[in-house]
Amino acid sequence: MGDNIWRPCPVLLLAGLLPALLPGTASFTPSLDSDFTFTLPAGQKECFYQPMPLKASLEIEYQVLDGAGLDIDFHLASPEGRTLVFEQRKSDGVHTVETEDGDYMFCFDNTFSTISEKVIFFELILDNMGEQEQEQEDWKKYITGTDMLDMKLEDILESINSIKARLSKSGHIQTLLRAFEARDRNIQESNFDRVNFWSMVNLVVMVVVSAIQVYMLKSLFEDKRKSRT
Amino acid sequence: MPMLPFALSFYFSLSTAFYFHVGEREEKCIIEDIPSDTLVTGTFKTQQWDFRRQDFLESAPGLGMFVTVTTYNDEVLLSKLHGPQGRFYFTSHSPGEHIICLESNSTRLVSFGGSKLRIHLEIRVGQHDLDAAIAQAKDKVNEVSFKLEHLIEQIEQIVKEQNYQRDREENFRMISEDTNSNVLWWAFAQTLIFIAIGIFQMKSLKNFFIAKKLV
Repeated sequence: MGDNIWRPCPVLLLAGLLPALLPGTASFTPSLDSDFTFTLPAGQKECFYQPMPLKASLEIEYQVLDGAGLDIDFHLASPEGRTLVFEQRKSDGVHTVETEDGDYMFCFDNTFSTISEKVIFFELILDNMGEQEQEQEDWKKYITGTDMLDMKLEDILESINSIKARLSKSGHIQTLLRAFEARDRNIQESNFDRVNFWSMVNLVVMVVVSAIQVYMLKSLFEDKRKSRT
Repeated sequence: MPMLPFALSFYFSLSTAFYFHVGEREEKCIIEDIPSDTLVTGTFKTQQWDFRRQDFLESAPGLGMFVTVTTYNDEVLLSKLHGPQGRFYFTSHSPGEHIICLESNSTRLVSFGGSKLRIHLEIRVGQHDLDAAIAQAKDKVNEVSFKLEHLIEQIEQIVKEQNYQRDREENFRMISEDTNSNVLWWAFAQTLIFIAIGIFQMKSLKNFFIAKKLV
């Protein structure tokens, strides 16, 4: 068990979800998650990097939560710099790639917008990060599993691992639903403000126009009277 | 002794964590919408760009990071200066959006071309570190009990988020209903005022014409 800790294990925990790779656990389902919400000012571009091992799977899901137009440019590049995904003016997207070894770069581009800043939510789901570790775990299972208690505990551990994976998935779905709801709420709040503002403007314009009408009509007749005398 | 493997795994795990680049004096903020009484743990590591080697140094010696956490009504929960590598905690008192900001305390007035920082970041909401506990587990029974504790924490966090989601949805419903009733109310008010103005206009013009002996 000591050996595995000294290895550079990619242990990522973000937003309520767990590291999948734990040394000394047999047949674990490695599934890592992370999500971020940030504000991207108008006219700027923001890039993020994620180191990945070979033969893992990287899933990126993003959504624009707030900002006029609710759209953003998205760009995903492999470690060699090759463009894997390039999307323009989309409000949400999901992409899965089978990874090579290296740092993957993904960027959100708001340069097309000059005045509105966007609030962007994105989620990274990393799968099979510890595929290479699993053969070693199986080998270890044979060595330590001769004791009856140990075998029972291994069973319990396996149930716990599967429950943990499912809870992670629940947490992940919850995060997604939260993002959807936040976006809908932002749209509705701006609707509310818009209705109030433009109705008020409409009312004021109507009153002003009718007052001007009456005044102009009256003024027409005033001039005629003066010219008569 | 158990702390040493933990400290090293902390270092290794962050070097393969998610990272991004910022300018030296730039502030980077992250929004976290969390329920009340939730513990949030953040771990970060900074690397500085070495102009001569055209690569990032392993760490950023002499550079500190300001970590500021503010709630949505501008109440400051945490404001602290850490070294180039560090860990910060805070517990939310009220549900809502919390903004976590990282800014380096670089005193260079002019950041010449190419000077930037690489920040590795990891933010954990509602749960404690399982790895540290597992590393200290003496045998399988301890390991099982640590994992069960972690499962319970996970479930509690999901339930908390669910309750918070209910509150937000109620807020959303209220705004929708307000908008709906406002549309109707404004239409009524505008119709009434329109009719009143029409009547007023006709009356005042009629009086005016009668006064001017045109009718």
